Amino acid sequence: MQALEELEPTVRIRELKKDRVNFVLENVDLAFANSLRRVVMADIPTVAIDMVEIETNTSVLPDEFIAHRLGMIPLISTNCDEAIRYTRDCICLAGCSFCSIMLVLNVACHDDTTMDVTSDHLDVVPLNAEGPLPDSGDEIQKRTEHFGHPVGKNDPSTPPVLICKIRKGQELKMRCIAKKGIAKEHAKWSPCSAVSFEYDPHNKLRHTTYWYEKDIKDEWPLSENAREEEPPRDDEPFDYNAKPNKFYFEIETDGSLNPQEVVMKGLAELQTKLANLILGLKQQPDLEIMQNEGVGMAHIQPQTQATGWGETSAWSQQTSPRTAGGASQWTSSPDNNPWGNSAGWSSPSQKANGWNM
Amino acid sequence: MNAPPRHELYVLEDGEKPVEITEDTKIPNAATIKIVKQDHTLANMLRAQLLAMPQTLFAGYKVPHPLHPYFLIKIQTDGTITPQDLLEQACKKLIATMVTLESKFTREFSYKDVESTTGVTANTGLDDPYGTGAGGAAYGRGKDYLDF
Repeated sequence: MQALEELEPTVRIRELKKDRVNFVLENVDLAFANSLRRVVMADIPTVAIDMVEIETNTSVLPDEFIAHRLGMIPLISTNCDEAIRYTRDCICLAGCSFCSIMLVLNVACHDDTTMDVTSDHLDVVPLNAEGPLPDSGDEIQKRTEHFGHPVGKNDPSTPPVLICKIRKGQELKMRCIAKKGIAKEHAKWSPCSAVSFEYDPHNKLRHTTYWYEKDIKDEWPLSENAREEEPPRDDEPFDYNAKPNKFYFEIETDGSLNPQEVVMKGLAELQTKLANLILGLKQQPDLEIMQNEGVGMAHIQPQTQATGWGETSAWSQQTSPRTAGGASQWTSSPDNNPWGNSAGWSSPSQKANGWNM
Repeated sequence: MNAPPRHELYVLEDGEKPVEITEDTKIPNAATIKIVKQDHTLANMLRAQLLAMPQTLFAGYKVPHPLHPYFLIKIQTDGTITPQDLLEQACKKLIATMVTLESKFTREFSYKDVESTTGVTANTGLDDPYGTGAGGAAYGRGKDYLDF
């Protein structure tokens, strides 16, 4: 392990195509390589259709079927980090041009032959903006020309995605709102259509057990990657200290991002995760100091929760006992008052307990 | 219908603490650290890095329930360093690895870009990945299969 740490990680790209990259990663830990694999599959933001408003659907497919198919269509998401916001981070209520992209689908068949409705029929239209927004970000300027367009729309060599088939007299008319998201939420936001990951093609480490009938070598063909590594001799003893350190990746994208961007964003995302953890660890001592300084439990709890509740919690902690207490002072007999002293004072602490326990 | 918003699985709520440290009362120099809104991606990588560090006596993690978006990582050190500091060191080491790897990827990609302009592979320029259709050759081959 120590020796492995000393070596610098290396990478060798074996093949780079428009939609895929094949590389060999060396001198890293298995966990590290696996984290890279996981992060490119699930944590890179892209845009995908998230909401569909159907005006007319006289096709044979039900509305939700079409909505689901629309969601699966890859949309060009180059520089998604800077070019679009998450709706949850946006100042708008339900969607604006900073956090969503509108696409319309409006096709009707007038021929006697069946018509294919494909992703080429989806047109990006500007969102009907209700005047200039209060904070104008630079997201829209950072978008590339075809940001949000279905992949392959402007490229005759790429076959489009089939959405539905309609016959004469049938019509599809709908508005789609595409939003930014990550594949942890829904797989439609994954920039990768496939990620292959292999190590130890000769199974020298015995991380897997092959089932076989007579001869393991006949029945289990070696992968292409086996050529990169020395085959084991038959009399070679099992090295139980060996660790995998050569990983074969092939990252195939759906076209929403190019493979370079996927790899680089993946590494950046891992760094963000680690940096946030460091930040979280550094914030920890402040909290402890605050707790030690606190005068009493009742005061500590609102303080520690202050950020969570925002200003409202601070106010409710202060005002609700006061008003309750005031009410009980004014009534002739506190016992008759359903919001009497005890109830008035106990409810905030219960609330605090409920949130802290 | 009553499902919580899906982004709650990976977005910290307002003011939610990303890290919670519980020091172990029975084992010296040990702590259990709860890291919220993170999963195996981060946890396994950290655990492996911690085990590779000489100060670590024990490092292990668990995701107590697959539907609860947090994990617990338990660390025991040899006493020269607190578990928190060790975890921070592990993070810094991993970031350093990531940075070197990033520069290596950038270099490799730039070499491949040069090759691609000579027509060996498709155009892979970052600025205009899909507009020019230079990668058409790869897709154009599909037509041959239709001709059969």
